[in-house]
Parts: sequence; C-alpha cells; structure tokens
Amino acid sequence: MTRWYQLSGKENDVAVSSKVSLARNLRDHVFTNRLSAEEKDKVAEEVTAAVNETLPDKFLVTPMNTLSRYAAISLAERNLVSPEFVSVQEGRTFLMTPDESLSIMVCEEDHVKIQALLPGLELDRSYELADRMDTLLDERLGFSFDTKLGYLTQCPTNIGTAMRGSVILQLPAMRILGRIRHLSNTVSRLGLVLTGAYGEGDSPTGSLYLLTNQVTLGISEEAALQNLDSLALSIIEQEREARGELMENLQFQDMLWRSYGTLKSARVMSFQEFMEALSVVKVGIAAGEFDLPMNTVNELIFSMQPATLNTEAGAALDRQERDALRAEKVREVFG
Amino acid sequence: MLCQNCGRNDATTHIKRIVDGESSELHLCSSCAQHLGYVGLFSGFGSDIGTLLSRFFPETRLLTAEDTERCPGCGASFDEIVRSGTMGCAECYDVFYDRLKPSLSRIHGRATHVGKTSTTRDDRLERREELRRLEAERNEAVKAEEYEKAAVLRDRIRELRGETK
Repeated sequence: MTRWYQLSGKENDVAVSSKVSLARNLRDHVFTNRLSAEEKDKVAEEVTAAVNETLPDKFLVTPMNTLSRYAAISLAERNLVSPEFVSVQEGRTFLMTPDESLSIMVCEEDHVKIQALLPGLELDRSYELADRMDTLLDERLGFSFDTKLGYLTQCPTNIGTAMRGSVILQLPAMRILGRIRHLSNTVSRLGLVLTGAYGEGDSPTGSLYLLTNQVTLGISEEAALQNLDSLALSIIEQEREARGELMENLQFQDMLWRSYGTLKSARVMSFQEFMEALSVVKVGIAAGEFDLPMNTVNELIFSMQPATLNTEAGAALDRQERDALRAEKVREVFG
Repeated sequence: MLCQNCGRNDATTHIKRIVDGESSELHLCSSCAQHLGYVGLFSGFGSDIGTLLSRFFPETRLLTAEDTERCPGCGASFDEIVRSGTMGCAECYDVFYDRLKPSLSRIHGRATHVGKTSTTRDDRLERREELRRLEAERNEAVKAEEYEKAAVLRDRIRELRGETK
C-alpha cells in the first residue's frame, strides 16, 4: 500500500505535509479526563462501530495497548498521533486508512480527533477529507455542539470550530540566513504560530517548522485555512528567494556538497546528522543540482526516524545498529 | 519542580515530546518556554495540556461558598475545572458559563461561533439563556403587578423547561 508521504504534493520543495484535525466529543459521555477505563472502552466501541457502519473495511483499528513501544512511538514520529497520545497507551484506540491519510485518535484529549494528512501544501483537500468523516460520524454519534460556542472541547481554548490546520515547512535557507526569528514574530502577529516540528524549539531538527492556526472561535474553517494557506505560500516564496541567494554563495556550495557526500557515503548516521544533511541537500535538489524526486527525499523524513526504523526492521536495534541501517538505506537513495 | 533549562524558576510549561525514538517530557518555566520557541503551543491540541492552567486562569481564584456548585453532568466543581484547566463534560460549559465568560473572552474575544454547524445539535446553552431572560421578564411583570403578562411568560418558561402546563 502506498502511503500518503510517498506521494508528490504541491510546493513540496518547501512544504512537506499538510494536516487538518477536528476535535469532537460524544454528547452522551463526560470528557476524556473523567472517563473510567470501562467508559473509555465504551467510547472506543461506539466510535469503531460508527466508523465500520459508515465506511466498512476502510479503517484499520488498533487498540494502542496492543502495540509495542516502538510501533506506538513510530506513529508519533510519522505525525499520525500526538506525543501526548503515545505517552500512555492504555485506554486509547487508533483508527487509520491503510494509506495513513485519514485517521482518528480515540480518547486523546477529546473523545474523537479526526485527522487528514496529505503531502505538500494541500489544506483544502485535507479539510474536505476530515469534514466528510466528521459529518458521517456526527450523524451516528452525536457530537457536543452549541450554537454560540461551537464544538465543545475538553480544553476551553479549542472551542468553536475545534479545528487545527498545520503545514510542515522545511526552511533551511531562512534558518542559515538567520531569518526565522523575524518570521516567527510576523507570523504570531497574524494570529498563527510557527514552531519547531521536531527537537528543540529554537533549533529544530532538519529545519522543519510547523505552521498552525491558533484561533478557533469566531472564524470559519474556510477562512482560517485560507489565512494559513496564503501565509504558507508567502513563507514558501521567501524560502525560495533565500535558497537562490545561498546557491550563489561559495561557502554554502561547499556545505551542500559535503552534506551530499555524507548522505552518499556515510556508514553510520544519527537521525540528527541525517536530517541536517538532508535539509541542505534539498536546496540543491530544488535548484536542479542533484537529480532526485522530491517526494522520495521527503519520504525519508518519516521513514528514517528512530522508532520507525526499529518497527520496520522488526527488531529492537540498539543505537549503533540503527544508525548503520539508516546510513545503508540512505545510501540506497543517494548512492 | 524547577525549570530544566535555567534551573532557577518553577516549571509551568510541560511539553511531551518524542526525542530519538523515546517519549520524554520537558519541564520549563514560562520565560524559557518562550525563549525556546514553545510559546503559543499551549493549546496545541493535546501536546501540552499542563501549560493551559496558568494561561487560562492566570489569577488563582479563591473558593467561596457559592463555588460549591457541582455540574450535574459529571460532578465537577468550578474549582476543579480551574485546577485542571479542562472542562469535565459538555454540560460544564452550560452550568459554569457565567464564571467562564471572562476567561473565554480573554482568549477568544467576544466572538461567537462561525463555521460548520453540527446537524445533530441540541442547544442547551441557548435555551438556558432564553430561560434566564424570560424569568427576569416574568419577575419584572410580577413586580409591576401585570399578572396576565406574567402568566403568559410562566407558560412559556414551563414549555421551554419541557414541563407540561
């Protein structure tokens, strides 16, 4: 089965993926924090039954406590579930389509979180997918809703549309040129947030940033996503300009070819080292310096993650074995 | 707990992360959280529920006698909601609406919902507001000795409450 991140998306030289999620709660149950273990099972049963009735055989249903630790963390690495969702596996259920583009977390912060994930900048299509699922499930489950406050969520900051749209952007050039701080200030003045997608907030692994909407009450889904989309496009343009500037610079050229050498030849490679080299080499690929399809390269961002490698290998590899396996797989692509 | 970054201030922001194939939690004070770029993440849909508490209810409210009211839906008191930063159930929004209002408008402004509407909604909050308005009107009518008007209002109140006449 081809997974969403193996496909090619719009603006994928900078935009890695787009996600839209909708938080919903079943009207007949108290919110997740107050549910007993039995009630959580009941919610999972109701949601699973509703999904199977609506779209039979379309979803894989996984009670999280049946997954190994690595398999669970791999879901978070691939951006399918939140770190919060895997911090405790008991009482949680995860449903997803085989291509992993549409998924539902049961009993995360809210009873149901519907998520649609697509490659590149595809917020509209992601919303369509999530929206359709939401409408179908609402008819069967009955979601908590109030005319004034919108969809009611456990956390009062999410009421209203209870929708988050996000885009993962890879911004190596803007980071190298020191333009991120200014950018993130501008973004926050517009009511959106730019944060590191992986690793530390101020020096995110592989220059991957997450651009997300903040406001959920008083703004429609369409308007919120339009804001997000046009801001993402403007950041993408700025990154492309910055990449153009860098390609003229001898020091950057040296860095680019050294990074390419690492990907092509290294025998042991940590995830950190891999991601830093990849983010630089992507600038060269976008400029036509190296002939590699962008979606193949973007896919590695997910498939080379530590727990995901362990899961794929089907063994509990130690760090060194894992770093050797990563180097081997990366050489297959760049060698 | 002290901030893991500066080691001086109390940690108020708790962030669950995946680092190097493991799940870990980062505890930061608010200024380090801001410095490290975790600002604004507080409503990150489950990414760090803990921060919410201090942001949503900055002024710790003292428990007063009237605060012993509990939500009939889930048994939560307003104090518990403030402590956890989370609502107990959908009905809490209805029961504690007046007390939530200042915090809600600080976060969301005076906005009301725009956008997708649930097709299966029940408008408990709206009904409650309407009830309050009618009750106030009825009391005014009684005070002004306009008994006929008060009777009409009484019937509408009963109807809204789902009671038979």
